[in-house]
Amino acid sequence: MSFFHWGDIVTIFVWFIEVYMIFVILFYSVILFISIFQLRKKYKLDIRQAHEDYMDEFNTKPVSIIVPAYNEEVGIVQSVRSLLSVHYPIFEVIVINDGSTDNTLEKMIEHYNMKEIKNVVRNQLKTKPIKEIYQSNGLPNLFLIHKENGGKGDALNVGLNFSHYPYFCSLDGDSILEHDAFLKVMKPIIDSDEEVIASGGSVRIANGCQIQSGHIQSVGISDKPLVVMQIIEYLRAFLMGRIGLSKYNLLLIISGAFGVFSKQWVIAAGGYRVDTVGEDMELVVRLHRLLREKKQKKKIVYVPDPVCWTEVPEDIKFLRRQRRRWHRGLFESLWNHREMTFNPKYGSIGFISFPYFWIVEFFGPIVELSGYIFMILCFFLGGIYIEFSILLFLLSCLYGSVFSMAAVLLEEWSLTKYPRASDILKLFFYSITESIWYRPLTVLWRCEGVLRIVIGDTSWGEMKRKGISK
Amino acid sequence: MVKNEILILSILTVSILCILIILLSYLIVRKLIENKKRKKIESYEAQISPIIFFMISEASVTTKLPNETPLQLQAIENILGKFSKVLEGKNEKKYLSELATMYLKHEYQRRLKSMRWSTRLNTLYQIEDFNMEDLMYEVYLLLIKKKRISHDEIKLSLRILAQFRYSEILRLLMNQFVHLSEYDFRSILIRLDQEKFDQLILHFHKCLPPLQKAILDVISIKKGWFYLSFVENIFASSAEEIKVRALKAIAEIGYVNQIEPFIELLYSKKWEERMFATKIMGVLKEESTIPRLIELLHDPSWWVRSQAGQAIYQFTNGKEILKLVLATSQDVFAKDMAWEWLNKGV
Repeated sequence: MSFFHWGDIVTIFVWFIEVYMIFVILFYSVILFISIFQLRKKYKLDIRQAHEDYMDEFNTKPVSIIVPAYNEEVGIVQSVRSLLSVHYPIFEVIVINDGSTDNTLEKMIEHYNMKEIKNVVRNQLKTKPIKEIYQSNGLPNLFLIHKENGGKGDALNVGLNFSHYPYFCSLDGDSILEHDAFLKVMKPIIDSDEEVIASGGSVRIANGCQIQSGHIQSVGISDKPLVVMQIIEYLRAFLMGRIGLSKYNLLLIISGAFGVFSKQWVIAAGGYRVDTVGEDMELVVRLHRLLREKKQKKKIVYVPDPVCWTEVPEDIKFLRRQRRRWHRGLFESLWNHREMTFNPKYGSIGFISFPYFWIVEFFGPIVELSGYIFMILCFFLGGIYIEFSILLFLLSCLYGSVFSMAAVLLEEWSLTKYPRASDILKLFFYSITESIWYRPLTVLWRCEGVLRIVIGDTSWGEMKRKGISK
Repeated sequence: MVKNEILILSILTVSILCILIILLSYLIVRKLIENKKRKKIESYEAQISPIIFFMISEASVTTKLPNETPLQLQAIENILGKFSKVLEGKNEKKYLSELATMYLKHEYQRRLKSMRWSTRLNTLYQIEDFNMEDLMYEVYLLLIKKKRISHDEIKLSLRILAQFRYSEILRLLMNQFVHLSEYDFRSILIRLDQEKFDQLILHFHKCLPPLQKAILDVISIKKGWFYLSFVENIFASSAEEIKVRALKAIAEIGYVNQIEPFIELLYSKKWEERMFATKIMGVLKEESTIPRLIELLHDPSWWVRSQAGQAIYQFTNGKEILKLVLATSQDVFAKDMAWEWLNKGV
């Protein structure tokens, strides 16, 4: 005779999930409220006015823009064009061709009239060898480096070695920058007399927007449900999560799509790691670690204004790969620095950020997946179990849909980036459906990511780009 | 027990949903109204834009603009804002300022007292752009009287007071708002008139380091050679960071009374000092330092190397020296820098 009845196990399990979800819901609520206050303050602030002073060369720090490109022949010329027209006093653009197998190199050379130059690169970070360096005729601040394939992290390190300026910005090959993106993210760095050593902004989704020669003409929303859901997801992640965390210097992620870093500090931390798929997060974690170890009061911040528009997968196959990869990247960053978890030496990073990322971000999908499976089981078992099932469903609605709806409303309440009322309605009603289909899907994909970590599979699939610019 | 929980959760979910839907309706209605308002403002703008342009360019502030409704006022503000960005002439700016004062002064007085931070800040930006000196006292009041004033407001108000030549500005900078950042101070000081700036220099030693650094930077920006003796004094008598700033200012001014102390700096342990000293040698074309400048072409710091390249390039026989380095040097970095300067402006 067993000591435990099936019923006891069920009850314990329901309790566990319930407590977990309530904990997470409370945590999100706190973050939501911090974000509301932060964002609302800036309602209708004339951003352009606020950034004008920073266009003065004397005040502004020059920035090196590093663009790692691997097989980006479709979008690279457009991306570079949008970069070259960016509103900032002094900058250079360094495109790193990471051993592409397509015509990325040829397209760049041809389109920008690039000539080989004999520059020596100081190897402050160890990288794969450089083959050639090119400079554009006519655009002396545009460089192209051709190197052996070594992955994104390695390409960024080459860019760091080559770059001339004290700040650098890492950028995905196929993103479209807002006109004054650099002014926005450099503002906190300049304002703080360089106490801020890294700064990132919101990334928005370009699918569905009208883009012409590297500029956003009008903001719109795609008709594809998967893309709409991703828009909501990004709003939620950036507007809610990061503002709250950034306020208390707890930020562990500056999106790989757009972020500015102090070169000196990144080199002191050892540059990008080449053996992880989440090199952007890993770097931020390492910077925090270095700062705490050196007892420096430097900060890493996030600016809520949208700075960059990026293409997201429209196809379920690529979205699935992306999510698996992200989850793996998250795990690697946390695991590589696991000793920071609950370590008093690392203060709030160790006691709030790390536990948050472990419990909510990493183990969240596993708990949720078991919840979904359990829900389905209960539904079939009937009786009291149906009630458990309803309970879990309600909780997951609160947990998933409600916060997403709140994020959509928060956007409209403060930043109002979407021009039409119908856009907001669309986003809102899609976000209601989140817990029914989209969230379970992403949970499943992220669990797949976990499974792959467990069985030790290291392949990480590429994203297919179709080129977003006309 | 589970039933109870379900009940509580259902009520919670439904009520949150209701709240969100109410919020949504509010936001949608607001959006529709705003979009409509924007269209109206745009049509007003099209109406008054040529009139305002005529008034400013012909210096006749005579025609009465429609300004009864907030939307009309908004249109006037927008148009003046657009012109303030493009107008260059002194007189045009003056008329623009007069127009702005005539139509917007009362509105701005009201807005400066707004509860909303972004409204106050936008208003301050406009006052600065339109150069509305009539509102100087209101700006001063905001700065002094407001409880829990934000950093941005402090900085902007001080900037405006500096621009309007407010009599007590130096006292505010030196005694009251001493904790601004160097960058903030710089943006304020750059707007001071000569007389006030000279007064501030007399009190240099009473200022805190951020303000001191800002003063030196403003001298650099203005390339104010008449401050040279002052800066040289500061350079000789200060320590560390202030010293480097003074050196930077001297390099920007591009002239020194006595060159020897700066030649020594070519051997300094600090790269900043080597860099600025190198720059000075290039500007002054001090031939005796050429051998050392060639050595500096393989300095560990990129900034010093680049500056050395530029300095050598500035000498009359600079190109020949660089070509020689390119042909004979063993050091790849020196060659690289020589090559870069020889090919500048390609």
